[in-house]
Amino acid sequence: MHIHDYEKLWLAVSLLLILSLIGTVTYGAVGPGVAMVADSEPTVDATALDEDERFAEPRVERVGENEYAAYVVAYQFAFQPDPLVVPANSTVTFYVTSRDVIHGFEVVGTNANTMVIPGEVAKLTVETDGPAEYGIVCNEYCGAGHHGMSGTLEVVSQSEYEGQNGGDGE
Amino acid sequence: MARSEAAHAGVDDVSGDGEEFDPIGTLTLIGIYFVILVLSWVYIYYVEFLGRDLVVVG
Repeated sequence: MHIHDYEKLWLAVSLLLILSLIGTVTYGAVGPGVAMVADSEPTVDATALDEDERFAEPRVERVGENEYAAYVVAYQFAFQPDPLVVPANSTVTFYVTSRDVIHGFEVVGTNANTMVIPGEVAKLTVETDGPAEYGIVCNEYCGAGHHGMSGTLEVVSQSEYEGQNGGDGE
Repeated sequence: MARSEAAHAGVDDVSGDGEEFDPIGTLTLIGIYFVILVLSWVYIYYVEFLGRDLVVVG
């Protein structure tokens, strides 16, 4: 079979393109450590979140050296806590769950975005940069008030965060 | 009409690298598409996706 030289060239280039696409995604996972939101968290009783250790009192707490956990409850039609205040230049893990219907949790303009399912806990870890204020929106239609369901994520400087939380650590 | 490559293929193959049919326009067009694809991908992945705040790392 005769294959034209040009055709060989663009076949080779197409293969190179495919390999590059796979390569960049691999780089993303290995280099910057981009991860997916997994279903690794155990389930919770959505009807009894007020008895749950983590979600009875939605909050941000320090869990390690410069590591924070944010326990967030989404419900019709808000997020709790609101505003969500986290320190800058730290690692924050969000644990988000719903006590009624399916919601979304999207920190607007960032890659932090997950579905929030009653009974399930969405866990996503991000690294914050400098102080900033982001909006949080629900991006899954959740009822009549869906369009108004929003919150705020405030990334504040370490000192300001310590000030607000009395520097208590735990 | 374009010349039919297939009709001569059997005979022409003997000559090796000398390609009688020379679709340089098609090659150029594919080259341009390729460049657009590569630039778009670099922009979408490295600039838009990885460049955004709060990259999910776990």
